[in-house]
Amino acid sequence: MKYLRHLILFFGLLCSAYPLAWMCVTAFRLEADAQASPFAFPKRWVIRNISKVFASGGFEDPWLNALLILVALCLAGLAVLVLLHIVQGRFQVSTCLSVIILISAIVFSKCHPSVQEALSGKGFANAYVNSLLVCIGSVALTVALSSLAAFAFALCEFRGRNTLFVIILAGMMLPVHVTLIPLNLLLGPGFLGLKESLWALVGPYVGFALPVSILILRSAFQAVPTELLDAARIDGCSTWQVFANVALPLARPAIATIVIFNFLTMWNEFAFALTLLGPDNSTLPIALNDFKGERGMYIAETCAALAIVVIPLMIVYGIAQKHIIKGLTAGAVKG
Amino acid sequence: MKSHPATPYAFLLPALAVYGLFVLVPIAGSLRMSLFSWGDTPTPVFVGLRNYAQLLGDHVFWRALYNNILLLVASLLLQLPLAAAVAMLLSYKTLCKPLFRMSFFAPMVMPTVAIAILWQYIYLPEGGLASTLVSKILGKPFAYAWLAQPSSSPWLPSPSMFWIFVTICWQYTGFHMVLFMAGIAAIPEELYEAARLDGASEFQICRHIVIPGLKPTIAVSATLSIIGSLKYFDLIYLMAAGLPEADREVMATYIYRLAFDQGQGRFGYGSAAAIMLLLVAIAVVVPIQWSKRKRQ
Repeated sequence: MKYLRHLILFFGLLCSAYPLAWMCVTAFRLEADAQASPFAFPKRWVIRNISKVFASGGFEDPWLNALLILVALCLAGLAVLVLLHIVQGRFQVSTCLSVIILISAIVFSKCHPSVQEALSGKGFANAYVNSLLVCIGSVALTVALSSLAAFAFALCEFRGRNTLFVIILAGMMLPVHVTLIPLNLLLGPGFLGLKESLWALVGPYVGFALPVSILILRSAFQAVPTELLDAARIDGCSTWQVFANVALPLARPAIATIVIFNFLTMWNEFAFALTLLGPDNSTLPIALNDFKGERGMYIAETCAALAIVVIPLMIVYGIAQKHIIKGLTAGAVKG
Repeated sequence: MKSHPATPYAFLLPALAVYGLFVLVPIAGSLRMSLFSWGDTPTPVFVGLRNYAQLLGDHVFWRALYNNILLLVASLLLQLPLAAAVAMLLSYKTLCKPLFRMSFFAPMVMPTVAIAILWQYIYLPEGGLASTLVSKILGKPFAYAWLAQPSSSPWLPSPSMFWIFVTICWQYTGFHMVLFMAGIAAIPEELYEAARLDGASEFQICRHIVIPGLKPTIAVSATLSIIGSLKYFDLIYLMAAGLPEADREVMATYIYRLAFDQGQGRFGYGSAAAIMLLLVAIAVVVPIQWSKRKRQ
């Protein structure tokens, strides 16, 4: 019985992991080899596919593109650290230093001509930077707006509280695709004029991330002991100070949940990016889709592109597995 | 907590403004646009409910809704039991349990676009993994267009939808499995021990303790499947593109194709389809929420 169980489970493991393993292997195969028999074991390993994908846009030298992606990923890690520090209410020298590095990196990437050139148009380096900018911006905005609103919903009394809360919750049930057409017109040239730029994505992403985030944070704020809030009040804290110094630090686990949940949802989002972005500003899913459209007949090369997108995600997932599983399930179940 | 009467509103204002502008206003806009003929004619013309009347006679629209419903039923009847079964298998003492959990859940972290591309290679008509497996079993060369099988009768879905559903299972089973694992972990240990002392078989334990104990989890999982099935877009849009028009759509992809596919641009008609999707979502979600509230 015990062996049968393990046998079944290992069969399941094979089914779930094999496609990913195949993708990684194929990324390093000769194209002709992969074309002839995609699912045979490779005879020769090459790294050419990866460099070809990096060369599909950005700098001339493919490895400069790879370096750019690496730098962008490191900066993203830094941004997460800064966010954590701010949430914990610790403003130390290192926080300030990180903020300065982040800002100067963004300014540098926007102003230096060669980087600017590499970051316009096609290519995965550009898509990585775009995805990072959009996701970090939207997640930061979501955390800020939803924690404020959730605090009011959880701990303040005011007229219309339940009505407003139900209206916000309704947003979770909506299929986002209902809003595709009107959002295109709203963001289009006639109204906000943001369409085709990266900024177009931030509004819809934040708008649709708010309901879940508010719900999760509201229950976290409700769990804050009332005595603590009253004590802070008696000591002379204003509502804002209670929020920033008492409630927010205590809601840190919930904030981690919404950061993970929203970041991954936005990182993988496809429909809005497909309709709202112009040809020069693709996020990663769009870059993948375009690459498949142009070079999809080259199996090994496309697998290399997939690997470039998926492997960093899997590394992060491997490191922060527990938090990511918790974040994704909590985000979805509450919603 | 007492505060100045205006303070809560100040806290709420930024979130409400963004939510209103990017969620509520577009829905109102959809409602308005669905009353216009736009795209079929060069300038918007008010046509009242004509778009809806046309939609009711549009067989592609009905097929899209039908595909949505079939995918929903399939995920309730096949995917959830599969996830529950895997979770139960894992609930015993198992070698490298974290490895299984991590590996089954991994597809949830990937972009759906990457999943669609990967599985399109698995479903290559010749030389793809699926075809290679079948040819190994049959012992002769085998070619089959997994993702381009038109349906054989108007009442049957395209067989390709089933193959796409396999991909959906690959993506989401791990997620539901994690939910079920949490559900199983919440069942008190004493119940098992008592049952074992009374001489219950493993099957009886499963039938009389685990499944009743999992009821709340099943409700959550089913609700997520139902709501999620109305939001299917990426996988269907990318993987079913090779099918004839009548077979390849679900609601969301039909809205998208009406409005944004090359040379279509039917914003008014597409908005009417979007409002129908909204109505379906409301019709599905409100009873679920209502029964949930009643249970509580």
